[in-house]
Amino acid sequence: MSALHHGTLLGCECCGLVSRLEVDAHHSICPRCGEALHVCKPHSLQRTWAYLIAAVLAYLPANFLPMMSTSSGFRRSTHTLLGGIAELWQSEAWGLAMIVFIASIGVPILKIGTLALLAWSVRYAPQWRQKERARLFRSVEAVGHWSMLDVYVVVLLAAFVRFGSVASVKPEPGLLAFAAVVFLTMLAAQSFDARLIWLTKKASAESLLRPALS
Amino acid sequence: MSSPVSTSEPTAVESVIPAPLIQPKNRLRLSLVWIVPLIALIVGGALLVRTLLAVGPRIEIEFRNAESLEPGKTEVRYKEVVIGRVESVSLRDDRTRVIATVQLNRSAASIAVQDTGFWVVRPRVALAGVSGLSTLISGSYIGVDAGTMTQPRKQFIGLEVPPFVLRGEPGRSFVLRAPNLGSLDVGSPVLYRRTPVGRVVGFTLLPDEDELSVKVFIESPYDRLVTPQSRFWNASGLDLTVSAGGLTLNTQSVATVIAGGVAFEQAPDTVKSSPAPANAAFTLYGDRRSAMAPADGPAQSLRMVFDGSVRGLVVGAPLDFLGVEIGNVRSISLQAGAAGQRFPVMVMADIYPLRFGKLRGLPGKPPASESESTLALLQRLTDSGLRAQLRTGNLLTNQLYVALDFMPPSAKSVKPGKLVLLTDVEGVITLPTVPGTLSELQPQVAAIVEKISKIPFQDIAASVQSTLGQVNTAVALIGGLTPDAQKALMGVQTTLIEVQRTLDSAQATMKSVDQNLLDERAPVQRRFEQTLLEVQRAAQSLRVLTDYLQLHPEAVVRGKPADAPVQALPPVTPEKVTDK
Repeated sequence: MSALHHGTLLGCECCGLVSRLEVDAHHSICPRCGEALHVCKPHSLQRTWAYLIAAVLAYLPANFLPMMSTSSGFRRSTHTLLGGIAELWQSEAWGLAMIVFIASIGVPILKIGTLALLAWSVRYAPQWRQKERARLFRSVEAVGHWSMLDVYVVVLLAAFVRFGSVASVKPEPGLLAFAAVVFLTMLAAQSFDARLIWLTKKASAESLLRPALS
Repeated sequence: MSSPVSTSEPTAVESVIPAPLIQPKNRLRLSLVWIVPLIALIVGGALLVRTLLAVGPRIEIEFRNAESLEPGKTEVRYKEVVIGRVESVSLRDDRTRVIATVQLNRSAASIAVQDTGFWVVRPRVALAGVSGLSTLISGSYIGVDAGTMTQPRKQFIGLEVPPFVLRGEPGRSFVLRAPNLGSLDVGSPVLYRRTPVGRVVGFTLLPDEDELSVKVFIESPYDRLVTPQSRFWNASGLDLTVSAGGLTLNTQSVATVIAGGVAFEQAPDTVKSSPAPANAAFTLYGDRRSAMAPADGPAQSLRMVFDGSVRGLVVGAPLDFLGVEIGNVRSISLQAGAAGQRFPVMVMADIYPLRFGKLRGLPGKPPASESESTLALLQRLTDSGLRAQLRTGNLLTNQLYVALDFMPPSAKSVKPGKLVLLTDVEGVITLPTVPGTLSELQPQVAAIVEKISKIPFQDIAASVQSTLGQVNTAVALIGGLTPDAQKALMGVQTTLIEVQRTLDSAQATMKSVDQNLLDERAPVQRRFEQTLLEVQRAAQSLRVLTDYLQLHPEAVVRGKPADAPVQALPPVTPEKVTDK
């Protein structure tokens, strides 16, 4: 773990109590609430990268495996994400196709791309457009709340459309992969510490940056 | 409130800030979070490998049209198990057919071999049954008949109709030779004791043999019922027979009445033998009767020339030898008569010499050939007076049949002298004929009519008329005599009355005599009876007297002694009746 140096002031993320380190230490906790204290989130970049890679890996089956299967009568058909959008587009439901495309394909890709950019820029372009990057990060976090829309739709359909052999909807493995993508991007966004955007060479004279990057 | 972070010495405010607790160093430098992408990688990799393993070969199937084939939806099923899916449907380059590209599953990769058949299962409604009904709802799919070969194949030609025998289906196929198809069709049932045991799977017309070859499939275990002695017949339709036993309606099943069918049975009087080998050939008879009849053997052509009308004789009419049907009429044609006035009718018939039975084997030396033996037989029979004759088989419809019968030599129509039968170049034997019963009858009737017409009805009528006139005049004369006759008759009547009166008085006299003398109540009779009674009594007392005197002769002198006093008798006790 990162080494914390003597005299550093640490704010508790939970209760807001500010404490000062008396000695060099590796790990400290808040004396009031017991929350772990750190200058930056620990292993922030490492975690972000790990979750992002996992999300990319999960994104492939989410697109190739069927998301849900509908059976009406004796006919069973499965739908993949792109296939469903194509069907909507072909049946001239442009608006719906666009919504599904943005929510299911556009947003996850943008999220993954944005987080990757942010994580990359921390190390390789720390001083580049810091304000915009911070805004970007905030928007990523805000969008994250809506990412599970697809999953909810399928789960609700599966729960409601249950008429035996007449009509039924069943979730398929692709949905699980898609949920994993959403979940992993949320974790990645959470584990990315926005403070890293502001850690420039000048600010890192404090030697606080090094442990955070390790 | 806050102070710069870089302060080295603690101020008064800073002194209240507590120092954080110190924990030992965690030595692990690499975060555990990397397990997450690792798991994702493993899961994703496993899915990828599984998907890649599940994908089998991609094949192309040609169909006449792409009716009900939907890319991405239409499944390929073998034994109702989904083994693949149509990926795309496209036109062939020459635009005559369509090509369906099918992605098979890995597990079914071995199905795509040389002799595999594919067809589209659609709902089919035929007389023999309805199939593929489930496809009405679920949509069509591609059915598969898996081949047995091992060489793989990528391009297939789809079947337009489903095969009726799937490979590996237990059972055996047999070939039936039939003169016509009747109402049989592919899918018609094969019945054994009215139980469906198989079906007709196909038929082909053999132009060389001018015959139909009907292929039937008997399902296992019923295929064992087919032996070399089995007889097949066309069980289509109704068989209505009028016989001495009444009206008989013979059908196999309602389905066969509509859709046709084939029935088979063991030939009569044959021992049950081992099952017939697959693809054995049988004859398909027209009906059960002909199927069960003994084998006919080769036919022999007969020619018969009849003088006179053959109205009522049809092609197929029987040739009857002493009640045994030995053949059928094949053709009837007119011939130019030698005299130019009469037109003899030539009737060609096929007879089956085997139907003569043991009659054929009579002569001592064995004949050289079948045809020769038939000729010898007919020669023998002709020598005995055998002739062909047209007879009425049915008075109602006036149907004629050809009877081969022995004519008495005295018959007028039988020409004297020995006839020599010959087989001509075509192998046809000409049989002598005699005029039919009807044609014999006709001249006789004509003769009778002629005789009747010769009777002088007019003369007879004239003489009858004159006789009647004479009678009339006589009656008139009698009418003239009547007044005198009436008087005479009245005289007779009065005389008769007188006689009657006389007779009446005589009767009264007789009656009184009868009453006085003969009646029981008549006084004469009564007195006479009384007298006789008195005489009887006198005789009785006289006998008593004589008896007494015989026992007591002394009574004549001494007289009768006094009677002894009467004594009371002891009471009589009834004896016991005992059974012995």
